[in-house]
Amino acid sequence: MFQKLREILSKIDADYADVRYEIKKESVISFSGKELTQIGSNSTDGYVIRALKDGGLASVVFTKQSDAEKAVRSVVENAQLISKNIDKPVKLAQVEKAKDTFIPTLKEDPRKVSMEEKLELIRKYNDIVLGFDKIATTAIGYEEVMREKYFLSSEGSEIREDLITTRLRGELISTEGNLRQNIRVAAGGSNGFSTIRDQESYFEKRAKTVIDLLKAKPVKGGTYNCILNPSMAGVFTHEAFGHFSEADLIENLPAMREKMKIGNKLGNDILNIADNATLPDQLGFYKYDDEGIKVRHTQLMKNGVLTGHLHSRRTAAEFGEPISGHTVAEDYRYAPIIRMGTIFIERGKHTFDDLVKMLGDGLYVLDAKGGETSGENFSFGAQYAYHVKNGKVGEMVRDINVSGNLYQTLKNINAIGNDFTLSKVGGCGKWQANIRSCYGGPHILVNNLVIGGV
Amino acid sequence: MEKLLEMAKKVCDKSEVYSVEYTNNHVSFENAKLQNIDNKFQSGLSLRIIKDGKLGFAYTRNLINREELVQNALESLKGGVEAEYDFPLTNDLPKLNTYDSSMEKLSGRDMVNECARVCDHLKSNTDGEIEMNSLAVTDKLRIINTEGTDITGQSTTYAMFGAITYPGVGTGILRFFQDKKFDKFPDDTANDMIQLYQASSKVVEIKGGKMKVMFMPNSWITLTWRISSGTSSKSVYEKISPVADKVGKKIFDEKLTICDDPLDDKFPGARAFDDEGVKCRPLTLVENGVLKSFYYDLDYAKKMKAKSTGHGYRTSMWGGDSITMKPIPALSHLRVKTGNKSFSDLLKSMDKGIIIEGALGPHSGNIPNGDYSVGISPGLYVENGEIVGRVKDVMAAGNIYETLKNVVDIGDTLYPTWFGAWVPAIVFDNVSVAAK
Repeated sequence: MFQKLREILSKIDADYADVRYEIKKESVISFSGKELTQIGSNSTDGYVIRALKDGGLASVVFTKQSDAEKAVRSVVENAQLISKNIDKPVKLAQVEKAKDTFIPTLKEDPRKVSMEEKLELIRKYNDIVLGFDKIATTAIGYEEVMREKYFLSSEGSEIREDLITTRLRGELISTEGNLRQNIRVAAGGSNGFSTIRDQESYFEKRAKTVIDLLKAKPVKGGTYNCILNPSMAGVFTHEAFGHFSEADLIENLPAMREKMKIGNKLGNDILNIADNATLPDQLGFYKYDDEGIKVRHTQLMKNGVLTGHLHSRRTAAEFGEPISGHTVAEDYRYAPIIRMGTIFIERGKHTFDDLVKMLGDGLYVLDAKGGETSGENFSFGAQYAYHVKNGKVGEMVRDINVSGNLYQTLKNINAIGNDFTLSKVGGCGKWQANIRSCYGGPHILVNNLVIGGV
Repeated sequence: MEKLLEMAKKVCDKSEVYSVEYTNNHVSFENAKLQNIDNKFQSGLSLRIIKDGKLGFAYTRNLINREELVQNALESLKGGVEAEYDFPLTNDLPKLNTYDSSMEKLSGRDMVNECARVCDHLKSNTDGEIEMNSLAVTDKLRIINTEGTDITGQSTTYAMFGAITYPGVGTGILRFFQDKKFDKFPDDTANDMIQLYQASSKVVEIKGGKMKVMFMPNSWITLTWRISSGTSSKSVYEKISPVADKVGKKIFDEKLTICDDPLDDKFPGARAFDDEGVKCRPLTLVENGVLKSFYYDLDYAKKMKAKSTGHGYRTSMWGGDSITMKPIPALSHLRVKTGNKSFSDLLKSMDKGIIIEGALGPHSGNIPNGDYSVGISPGLYVENGEIVGRVKDVMAAGNIYETLKNVVDIGDTLYPTWFGAWVPAIVFDNVSVAAK
């Protein structure tokens, strides 16, 4: 494989170039209610070239080998076109070249489990849910994505790495009269098919929760003090804070870049945030990014003070900060961009009971359901919540959407739990998808969150 | 392709080959400076086979090994996905004007220069941070099947989208422009952006409560996703559509008419056939507030003893890589009928309320039920019929089956939005707004 890529690379007339070739194998099983709607395994492949010439950096994607020459011509032309139209030439941070092959160790290789067995298992989980009264339908999908990646750079790096992701996710819908409620289910990870097994009691519990939601009252819109569970705390960390740690998002927003400068105090003293994709057996785990750089543990905030950013070679040079190994593509259809790996708030010292007592009156908000950020403003849904009154968790409420301002919210995180949970399924959509996007943390207590209600 | 169909024919009852070729050139400017040029040349092919009422599905990028592809489809057949439908015999398609050959020769330089021109204009008239993108797409689609269908479509799309963002806030006034060929970003659109940005530069504090809101092109997705869910044959079949038994009944305000019109080739991306080779036709979903029809693909049409309305597309809520996806019922060319009010008339009819320029989190919340709860970012506050500033930390929430009953007025301009929908600005009354 590398020989074929070397030939392509040798034809690129540039100051720096890299070529990535990937074979992507996907297996899918999906159910819509009791009906199986899709099943099968397929393989696709393609190439991505990046070239730096005279200070212009461009990229091209192609899927037919016979388009290689056209692609090489186009990427060099575009790099030159950029170089003629910018004042400040692009520089890439210096890195050591790497020659490595990394095949992850799995707890049960999904490729060795037959499609029949997988189908039977997923059908079993689906049937557990459909067995409950008041469940209208389900949408449950199993996906297995294997990226076999070959990376070659003009600086001499040659890396082969495999990323194997298993994910089981979906939605359960309950109904009573004219009311419909939904809840999400998720299991999976980066370390094998074992992450998909033994989910029976989990599916049962989720089915019961979505049925309970039919009885829950809609929350009243307004401002609340809240305990966020690890899933919600993780989504906040990812959506509201994490994206502005990605240097490519702030590079060309001068005012935002100033606010996110290293050394700025943005949070309370108790707040520590890190991205650590080197943590083994987590969804976010990988060894090399798609620029051929080893990913590193990156401390983003220490005692409320900003301490780092997530970088590409380009932004590391531009910011004059260390490289971090966070430039990742969805697959062979995309040039890589800066992505979080495994981002979380570090564990604090309080038990959950402490947090509930400290909260007194407010909401205990659970399980994220989609989030989005636009500048300093964020909004994300929660699957359900409980009223907390006089330091006691009370009745369930539904229709929870949380919205707020990043900077105010960082300062309003007043206590941090001593537990720690990371997400099992990811789906960050910053221009391209990242199914390994992993986030989480402990329970946290946040004051003054705007809850939308309905 | 023909050979593949021949091979598939030998092992199954019916089959279909879908193939696509696609080029895409994307120029992006950040902070009014050229940032990136990204080019794509992609192709792929997808095979559907039906045997004994079961479906086999397989796809690849490069048709090097036909046997393997057929084998993958046969393997998937074993799973037992029901497929009682037939592939259509489609011919005599209307000729649509979807392709402009000048797009084949469009240079990156022209796209860079046009982005630079618009950036300069926006920059010299505001203190905002400017981002601008230019996108040139050509695509070619061919579908053949064992019924004898062999149809091809070719289209070109040129799009520009950009925003003036409030410094340090990272959100702003975004507009979208689309055509079948390269053209200048309209001055009117750029000037609207400047005007809205300037009018909303001051942050104002408001009290929450029920009020009038205006949905703009970039926040409309909050509503279109929920309309699409409620009127989909899939939702009706799964008994999760709140309007399943409401055909012929009034579900929205009588001022609202909502159609799907794939044939109107004034707009880029018009289609004569869907991704299953079914002939496209205009379909009225809601007329003067009355629910007229649901939309179907082949699969759900058969399940519900109806006819496909030509809405089988290989897509999802977020779009996606078509060859890897099975067709589902989808609205690809949604049009909401315009009214007769200019933008300033709409402001006057609002008197007091919020313009939802952008919605945060339209994908979260209970979509099948029609519920929405979105962050308003940016939100422009209107008082005495004039924009007085922008609001922060504010959310709007409701249910479309309530909100869409309360139309105050509809704008006279059709704006392009995401996923092929074109909509006017609409003012709704009595929407719940939460503020800090």
